[in-house]
Amino acid sequence: MTDVSLLSAPWRNAPSDRPIGWYCAAPPSQAAVPWSILHGRIGAWQALLDSLAPPGQRWLLHLRAPLEFAAALIACWERGDSVMLPADDRPETLAGVDRVTEGRLGDAPRGHRAGPDAGTPRWGTLDTDALALSLYTSGSSGDPQRLDKCFAQLDAELSVQARLWPLKGRLVISQVSHQHIYGLLFAILRPLCERALMAMSLCRYPETLSDWLARLSKLRHSTSTGLSSDTPNVPSGVVLITAPPPLERLPEELDWRAAPQMLSRIHSSGAPLSQAASEHALRILGVPVSEIYGSSETGGIAWRIQQHNACWTPFSGIEIRDDDQGTLWLRSPFLDTADWQRQADRISLETSGFRLLGRVDRILKVGGKRLSLTSMDRTLGTYPDVLQARTIALPERDTRLGAIVQLEPQSIPQDHTARRALTEALRHHLLETFESTVIPRYWRFVEAWPSNSQGKLSGTVVAHLFRDLQSRRLPRWLGVEFEGDERCRVTLEVPERLIYVQGHFDAKPVVPGIVIVQWAIELAREHLGLQGEFHRLERIKFPRLLCPGDRVELLLFLSPVPPGGERNVKLVFTLKGRQATHASGKALFSSIGDR
Amino acid sequence: MANALELELKHLIIDTLELEDVTPEDIGRDEPLFVEGLGLDSIDALELGLALQKTYGIKLEADSEESRRHFANLKSLAALVEERRVD
Repeated sequence: MTDVSLLSAPWRNAPSDRPIGWYCAAPPSQAAVPWSILHGRIGAWQALLDSLAPPGQRWLLHLRAPLEFAAALIACWERGDSVMLPADDRPETLAGVDRVTEGRLGDAPRGHRAGPDAGTPRWGTLDTDALALSLYTSGSSGDPQRLDKCFAQLDAELSVQARLWPLKGRLVISQVSHQHIYGLLFAILRPLCERALMAMSLCRYPETLSDWLARLSKLRHSTSTGLSSDTPNVPSGVVLITAPPPLERLPEELDWRAAPQMLSRIHSSGAPLSQAASEHALRILGVPVSEIYGSSETGGIAWRIQQHNACWTPFSGIEIRDDDQGTLWLRSPFLDTADWQRQADRISLETSGFRLLGRVDRILKVGGKRLSLTSMDRTLGTYPDVLQARTIALPERDTRLGAIVQLEPQSIPQDHTARRALTEALRHHLLETFESTVIPRYWRFVEAWPSNSQGKLSGTVVAHLFRDLQSRRLPRWLGVEFEGDERCRVTLEVPERLIYVQGHFDAKPVVPGIVIVQWAIELAREHLGLQGEFHRLERIKFPRLLCPGDRVELLLFLSPVPPGGERNVKLVFTLKGRQATHASGKALFSSIGDR
Repeated sequence: MANALELELKHLIIDTLELEDVTPEDIGRDEPLFVEGLGLDSIDALELGLALQKTYGIKLEADSEESRRHFANLKSLAALVEERRVD
């Protein structure tokens, strides 16, 4: 058995011809990436770092390719540097991290990248108490919070997981970002420490997962029957690292026949999986989901497989207790303190573990009155067709609340009149229980719960939902669904107070066409990473007026021009209401290139 | 002109209270502004009082019976401004 301790740096003496990476979509003979390649990449990163600054730095690291991320991370550690992992690569997130780091590494804009030539790695020392990395959490309220992790903390957690769920050389396929603690531990550090395999890219879509599993199954079959001799390192099984959003959305119609053969284990974290989603995943993939409960602050706390036990079992070494309010208290070797820590969740202790009862009541003073947001959420939830609701204190509107309400599709208001009628009805519903001064003033009606990739309603998502309150030039943003990397669907409403529709009191106010085009371009830059300089518009049509209060979907699609080329890109957009199309057209952008 | 003033007041209400989904057409001149109708509350009354003072120089006793009468609907509010404005 190999040494799985992070502190012993198991990557240093890993056999260089054995694989660490796996290209899941490549022909079998080109799928395996040996440790020697990783060692070469570590050396390449160290050469880059040496050219930038002496050891002892702190770097911003954002890199999507898992093995290259691992190389950069190890290069920093072995050189005596630490890294800060921004949760995403949005400009404002990166700017926050820039202030405390030497420079950017990886695929973020202006990020330094190691050259293509392999280098010879230099090994240093990993000190138990040294800072290994810092994470930025996006809590559901307020600004991101920085969390420092030393090597001993990471090591303690990795060892516990390796004992409970040994990888045994299997291939780890991940659907979650390793810029967060869960993806980092499960999809990067565990395969590195246990010398298992990691997929060479993130597996974002169910179609990709189904395809990869089918290929692996075919490969294993051909190897075991002796048809293929050039792939001695075929993965013996797959461990899937995923989260509630992808599991809830697993489409039945794909071919999942290979899943039960190939999948040894499925992990989910970020939020508890509903029982329905847990059953759905088991039915489709044929393997029960091992869930992990924890947070960036605490690391892993407990785990469960719902089909075996609905209660959560604390990880080895974790101590749990509750108080008279039912609040969870925790003592954990994964924390940097030996004191009991109060958590924000309520639990009930059972003989076989504990149940999660939801968040501790969120109490707020609104207009001088104490209000339980939790109870307001519950009251909203009892209104017909409300599936889920969350009332939110808005930082810029200290006396007024916002509410995010998920409705049955047929109840979503499509225009000003319907929206007024609905907010009126919800206000009356709440007035039965609450005083008028605490009733939410800003309503956001959504069809799908707007969670981030971890399944959480993050502060970032909340800020997006209410950002039209900050600028009267913006549409009201109500969520985005991606269909691949180049295509997305943004739900919008036209704010009644939009600056562009003001000033014409007698005429019927409408949104000017050029404003719609501007929105399409800005949202494509934001969600699809559209770059380049605007060139010209093509085939622009505005078949139907867009009025204040209208609810629409903006379909955005990027395609290279000419097809297959990379120099220019075409943004194709369509703005649709439930009844008709309001606008469509194309906008050409010339690539800025590598000037 | 009563209509111009009423429209002006509608915009004052919407902008002062940052009502996000109310248009001037949604505010009827005889409709109650508070609780029923537009659904404004005591915090709004304070803010509206301040806005009236800033825009028209009208001072109102906070929370008095008189203020409440003036704030009954748009018509009564317009009458108040018409009568007491110090431009």
